[in-house]
Amino acid sequence: MTQVTRSEIKVYRDLMGANAEWASRSRQMLDELGIIMINLIGSPGAGKTTLLERTIERLCGRLRVAVLEGDIETTCDAERLNALGIPVSQLLTGGGCHLEAKMIHRALCDLPLSGLDMVIVENVGNLVCPAEFDIGELAKIAVLSVTEGEDKPLKYPLLFHEARAVVITKTDLLPHIPYHLPLCLDNLKRVNGAIPVFQVSAVTGTGLEAWIEWLKGLSA
Amino acid sequence: MHEFGLGEEVVKTVLEEMKRLTPPPRNLRSVRVVVGALRRVSSEHLRFAYEVLTRDTPAEGAALEVTTVPVTALCRDCGWQGEIDEMLFLCQDCGAANLQTLQGMELFLDRLEVEYSDASDSE
Repeated sequence: MTQVTRSEIKVYRDLMGANAEWASRSRQMLDELGIIMINLIGSPGAGKTTLLERTIERLCGRLRVAVLEGDIETTCDAERLNALGIPVSQLLTGGGCHLEAKMIHRALCDLPLSGLDMVIVENVGNLVCPAEFDIGELAKIAVLSVTEGEDKPLKYPLLFHEARAVVITKTDLLPHIPYHLPLCLDNLKRVNGAIPVFQVSAVTGTGLEAWIEWLKGLSA
Repeated sequence: MHEFGLGEEVVKTVLEEMKRLTPPPRNLRSVRVVVGALRRVSSEHLRFAYEVLTRDTPAEGAALEVTTVPVTALCRDCGWQGEIDEMLFLCQDCGAANLQTLQGMELFLDRLEVEYSDASDSE
């Protein structure tokens, strides 16, 4: 009679392995060149591209910046940023809801890296998936507009927990909407107590200087 | 989380591990994946993906167990250490928000349970 023996085999294999490998390859390459890469993550319409435009205008002459622009479709954002005279690459995911490390690595290799201090990646508009994928960045930055509601840090805790800073955008709208900023700040504190928060308006320019100074500090 | 993409990674890894086993097992009974609560993986979606993706492979029919690791943290202010509600990164003792996450981001294939028939072993 045939007897059956059961056996348990320990494996311990990382399931984010391939992405992590590409991310660490990019991180090492950028490290050696002294370039820092930041990853902007926020909802569609949070104001990521506008924040980038205002940021780049203010960084010009102080830091040499390139942008990797992630979108599902269209090259509109890349065209907007291209007008600022910096290297911009459009990454079209064709339906993909986030950028992955391999895609970023290839795009980095196509940039004129030797002349750069900073690469800013604008991720696909989404508060969920981009937070889960390491792309080799130094810091994830969460971008949250005041029209999105105060509860977002609690609803998407991974992003706000992983982020090194939060930029709250469209603050010029505050007098016109029933938005309770202290509640949002309190919610942010509950998922990430130490996180620096920058309240900005790309329309009036309020708060942008503090954000720019912090950003410059990253590359110091 | 991307359960289908994760499912593909699980199936690929399981099949690679099975190929390495000598003698080859008669059957794969179960597979265990360990997932940190912060990863927000839906076990139900992952099991469905596994079922679909293992059709006509040697991993077909095996049960997929998903073990969730709770989020634990260390308070940098008072030294408290323990489990936290995954949404609220607050010290359960002093209430400080100055926490270091210890567990909760795991994502790995933990083990396979295979069957060997002794008859073939003794041949």
